[in-house]
Amino acid sequence: MLTGALAADLAVNGLVTGLFYALMAVGLALIFGVLRIVNFAHGEFYMVGAYAYTIVAARLGVPLAVALPTAFLFGAALGWVVERTLMRPLYANIATWGLMRDEYAVIVTFGLSLLLVNLVDKAIGPYAFRAPALVSASRIVVGPALMSGQKVAAAGVTLVTLAFIALFLRFSYWGRAVRAVSQNRLGASLAGIDATAVSSLVFALAGGLAALAGALLSPIINASPDVGAFPAIKSYVIVVLGGMGSILGAFIASLLLGLVESFGAVLVSYQYRDTFGLVLLILFLLFRPQGLFGERGREV
Amino acid sequence: MSGDIRLRREFIATALLLVLLALLPLVQRDVYWLGVLVVSAYFAILASSWNLLAGFTGQFSLAPAAFAMIGAYGAALSATYYSVPPILGLIIGTGAAGLIGLVLGRIVMRLKGPYLALTTLSFAEIARLVASNSINITRGDLGLPIAGWFNDRVLWFYVFLGALAFVICGLYLLLRSKAGLFLEAIRDDEIAAARSGVRIVFWKTAAFSISSAAAGFAGALYAYFASLVTPELGLVQQTGLVVSMTVIGGMGSLIGPVVGAFLVYVTSEWLRDVGGWQLVIFAALVIVFARLFRTGLWGLVTAALQPRRGKPA
Amino acid sequence: MRNVSHLAIAALTLSVSLAGSAYAADPVKVGVTVTQSPPGSVVQGTQVKDGLEVAAKMLNDQGGVLGRPIELVVEDTQGLPEKARAAVEKLITRDKVVAIVGEHQSSNVLAGMEVAHRYHVPYINTNGWADAIREKGYPEVFNPNNYNRRVAMAAADSIKKLGAKKVVAFAENTDYGIGLAKGIAEQLKAVAPDISYRFDTLDRAAKDYLPAILPLRSDPPNVVVDIMLPPAAYIMMNQVYEQGVAPATKTWLYDASGLADYPDFWQNVKEAGKDMLVFGLYHPKMKAPELAKTIGDAYTKKTGAQPNRLLYQAADSLLVVADAIKRANSTEPDPLVKALEATKYTGTRGEITFSTESGYKYHQWLDIPYVTFQITEIGQKVADAPLVEQAGQPLDPSKLARP
Repeated sequence: MLTGALAADLAVNGLVTGLFYALMAVGLALIFGVLRIVNFAHGEFYMVGAYAYTIVAARLGVPLAVALPTAFLFGAALGWVVERTLMRPLYANIATWGLMRDEYAVIVTFGLSLLLVNLVDKAIGPYAFRAPALVSASRIVVGPALMSGQKVAAAGVTLVTLAFIALFLRFSYWGRAVRAVSQNRLGASLAGIDATAVSSLVFALAGGLAALAGALLSPIINASPDVGAFPAIKSYVIVVLGGMGSILGAFIASLLLGLVESFGAVLVSYQYRDTFGLVLLILFLLFRPQGLFGERGREV
Repeated sequence: MSGDIRLRREFIATALLLVLLALLPLVQRDVYWLGVLVVSAYFAILASSWNLLAGFTGQFSLAPAAFAMIGAYGAALSATYYSVPPILGLIIGTGAAGLIGLVLGRIVMRLKGPYLALTTLSFAEIARLVASNSINITRGDLGLPIAGWFNDRVLWFYVFLGALAFVICGLYLLLRSKAGLFLEAIRDDEIAAARSGVRIVFWKTAAFSISSAAAGFAGALYAYFASLVTPELGLVQQTGLVVSMTVIGGMGSLIGPVVGAFLVYVTSEWLRDVGGWQLVIFAALVIVFARLFRTGLWGLVTAALQPRRGKPA
Repeated sequence: MRNVSHLAIAALTLSVSLAGSAYAADPVKVGVTVTQSPPGSVVQGTQVKDGLEVAAKMLNDQGGVLGRPIELVVEDTQGLPEKARAAVEKLITRDKVVAIVGEHQSSNVLAGMEVAHRYHVPYINTNGWADAIREKGYPEVFNPNNYNRRVAMAAADSIKKLGAKKVVAFAENTDYGIGLAKGIAEQLKAVAPDISYRFDTLDRAAKDYLPAILPLRSDPPNVVVDIMLPPAAYIMMNQVYEQGVAPATKTWLYDASGLADYPDFWQNVKEAGKDMLVFGLYHPKMKAPELAKTIGDAYTKKTGAQPNRLLYQAADSLLVVADAIKRANSTEPDPLVKALEATKYTGTRGEITFSTESGYKYHQWLDIPYVTFQITEIGQKVADAPLVEQAGQPLDPSKLARP
């Protein structure tokens, strides 16, 4: 069944899907690295980005080159506010919270997800919004595959953004600060790094990246209040696969998941394709909790 | 106030609440509102069963709705393919959820916090995706019809109220026994509990399995009431409702989830005609309660009643 | 004293008669279940709702039924059977409606009609195509709309006329989709057994159908049949086009679900819609009764949109109920069901009658008119799309434009 042409097709499509996954997953991994929590409202940053882009570009007629960064800023602002108001108890007086810390993080992010979905549902409406495409060409040849122009353009923006994030984390002062706090919060604080500011920064960055993903995909997948649920679940799978908190791991795991789903859907089962990643997640948490690239010995 | 006395007070308060609810059909026999109360009781069972894990054992599962769905499909599938009578269908649904809960509980036993939440969430999504994609067996999203048991709404209301009372009594007996002490010890400090000889694996797995069985029981009962079983029963949003009800009512108390379930669901239906902002308000309340009033409404009530005793239990 | 009591009696009589007349003006409540939010088709739901409102207004302007105005009580189903079931339950038990109309998705009809059957309340199926709805044989359910068997026959005949050898259908995972996909298989076996036919079931909530489409790239069929509803159908069409599968020189795209007259059709597809063949239940060039123009104009005035099939199906659903109430001179279930069964009413699409034969014909208006037309330009209005098959005649291949 699997001819060479089909395999090439599946590979290209899987990798492109994986790129979009990465935009979500890298932010989630950053948050986990710095705060040691899973943000269960991550999909709602994606949703907010999709709406911000759609409304700014389609309703207000702002040029697309401005609308995309606007969506990013919107998501970043929301992430920053969320961190300032709701995440502070996680490390402000960590000693008195003890065991309840994890529980608090799950409830609050879960509640935030419910709040944002229902708020948008009531304030904007349950209808799907269609956003203007970045490129109008509806068929472009990409190596052995054919793809819509929108998808090619979105993949391009994604690649550039991810490269920028990689450089930022590697070389800038704040990037190094993020990595230092991820490795050892207390140590980094003692070395004079403002861990609180770093926490705000990663939440803003993660919110912005997820919002950008939502904006880029909104011409393909229309904005609706629950549009974030699907990409959020994919990104949970990815951060576990890549090793909770590992940025490079999250990136590679994103591409891998894209490929697994693409090939699995044709070779194993089309019907059950969305369960592959979830099964992998459970298997990894049980047998290789450090993920593909995480450090060994992390407390699970 | 010692744990035992506190538990007994909560139990008496819950019993009083259930008696009050049982009197409702005297003043309200409208079929629609009885239906709303039935669904509230369904959620009260789910919330109470989830509270056994999250509130009393410290296991934060995100799969209660999935287990209700499993229970419902257990009943509906056995009725569709083997023409099983309702009583047996209830047992099959409850048993299926309990067994799967036993296996999952054993597997996730080691996991904590976000890891446990992620694993149970994945399990819930897998269960739902399998139910909605196995079209030839379950009819997928179209739902599996199941012959209703009986039609009398007042009777259904008492059946659900009875089921809720049964679950509450079971939980009370369990928590009052040694098991309750062990679970609390595990929640507060697992390592210390193990050191003093508590069989951690056994008790945590048992709690997970019992909680799952109770959720499955509610789901199976609901299947006969609704006479249509769909994968929507297992949506993460349903779990969101269960979590909200418990947090608002009061996590870790026997009565909190019951109060939360009736309050949230009945108010939701009541406010439906005035714009439907209720879900926004409840979600905001969840965050406010988690942030500021960790013991929920019940905690606020007890604190108000005993201002001099210092911190609420 | 005497006078006072007389006065009291007079007041009482007055108030009773007032109450009586108030009762006479009490509205006749008709329940409506439509999709107003995703994942179901909001566009369909809105067309149906507008159609019902136009018809209700027309009826009320003419004095209502039995001297009482008609009031529509609308519930949103989100296109989900569980919600549809609960909606019908609420409409019957809480709002005490005399009939249910408007449902436009088969799976929801199947869920909702169970409740209507249980409470013995008339249920007019506005747009559920699944044959299973008729095969249940519920006396309360009436179908003045299209049915899958009819589309299956039409599609099989058209496919045969197109000279196809290999056919692939994409069906959504609903009673409508799977039912029609299987129906086409049966009909093809009967009229053209040499044609190889298979169908893929696609999840209508999914956003990416490439895994099902990519394998067709190397070995394309002669016809791709769409058995999906928007918005999933648009995503599928765009991806089928994007991969160069259909419409293409070698491959026709045949739409068996009436996509072309949705108001958002051209906002969602571009090249993917050109050259598509459409099974159409409405085309402005079809012959129609006088009432169609009245309703169509009122609809255009209300919404600014062109008339479409769902408008007429919705209007007919309510008009049939109003007609039955008048003839029965009652809103009680038993006389109403009896009157509905004896319907002989010229609505917006022809004279509606309900068959009493069992099977897929039960309580079905058998002679639903249909045509086939082809979209020849991007952005083309249905009115400008050439008919390749007139109502009641076979498809004429000489009128087709090759992609």
